Amino acid sequence: MVKSDLGEYLCSKLDENRQAIQAEWVSQMEALDLLIELTPNEIEEQFNAVFDTATSCLRTGTFEAAISYAGNLAQKNIPLTLQQVISGFMIKRDIFGRFIKNLYEGDTEGWQNMLDYYEPIHRSVLSIVTVDLIKQQESKVRQQQDAILKLSTPLVELWENIVLLPLIGMLDSVRAKQLIEAVLTYIGQTKTEIIILDVAGIAAIDTKTAQHILLTIQAAKLMGTEIIITGIRPEVATTLVTLGINLTGIQTRGNLREGIKYSFGKLGFKLIENPKN
Amino acid sequence: MATESIIPILKLDNFLISSPQIAIHDRIAVQYKDALLQKIAETKSKGLILDISAIDVVDSFLVRVISDVASAANVMGCHTVLTGMSPAVAITLAEMDLQLKGVFTALDIGKSMKILQREEMRLRD
Repeated sequence: MVKSDLGEYLCSKLDENRQAIQAEWVSQMEALDLLIELTPNEIEEQFNAVFDTATSCLRTGTFEAAISYAGNLAQKNIPLTLQQVISGFMIKRDIFGRFIKNLYEGDTEGWQNMLDYYEPIHRSVLSIVTVDLIKQQESKVRQQQDAILKLSTPLVELWENIVLLPLIGMLDSVRAKQLIEAVLTYIGQTKTEIIILDVAGIAAIDTKTAQHILLTIQAAKLMGTEIIITGIRPEVATTLVTLGINLTGIQTRGNLREGIKYSFGKLGFKLIENPKN
Repeated sequence: MATESIIPILKLDNFLISSPQIAIHDRIAVQYKDALLQKIAETKSKGLILDISAIDVVDSFLVRVISDVASAANVMGCHTVLTGMSPAVAITLAEMDLQLKGVFTALDIGKSMKILQREEMRLRD
């Protein structure tokens, strides 16, 4: 038999036994607790997708079906884990393998031929689907990282020429670099005179982080903007002193309120109580 | 050609304003420094505004020249304000840890004038 005939023959036999294969696949998947959160409809859909992808690839000897299967998973946002998808294909392979064995009972040469045709195709389908899924997940993670980085430097205009930058969480090197860039670009665009860097949300600080902050302050100073630091926690203050980091020439205030007061004073404003209220 | 004809130094009120529009390599930098100090002496200016917004690359030599001008001008009773530094230049200078001693920095020429006026008032008081 030529290759395409082999595929056609196998698929027609598989189609005849579709029900039995489906039952076997579902029971094996259930035994591994891989179908827990799916409705019967979704299970059927999932089986059909795996079965049709495999038979279509076997029939044609090309892998368009596998590529479109992976694409579909991403587009429809089907909540399947990587394990569910891979196991789905692995179990399908086992079932098909046994099915082929039974099909060629006693015909060793025919069995050998069929395996030679079937195995490479199966391998490719599995690797295409897996690689594609992993790629999609990687790009999702990257997008989320970008989003987090963008969110991590929120510049809030408090008043004309006073901008607040509250820092929250850990400040690692990547974030610190992003901080410098974001702040300097912002200064370049908006010509803000004072930036209040509120570090009350920073739990711990190390030498590198402190240096990044100092670098930002120096660079901003060169451009003509003053950055003041507010809300340094006792632990952070202790660390700064222990590390011997020199903050002379930098305005620091205990809390944001004092920082705002200082900024208004520097710009020539004064907050007074309105006696009418 | 004299440097002053390449890089104009303008007098406005009590202050001098200069905004180089060409790359300042080492030889021009030294001539520029002399021209600036000469002009300060001639006009008895109280302030000097250096606008470097058109300059893409600032190296350590230029920083030293600017620092030198500021120190010398200070002795002559003239404050120096540096303005228009781009983020890229600022980050490079900060990373090299270059100190601009005796130099005020401002975001634009308007704010530079304010600083100079404030300093003048302070001296008068």
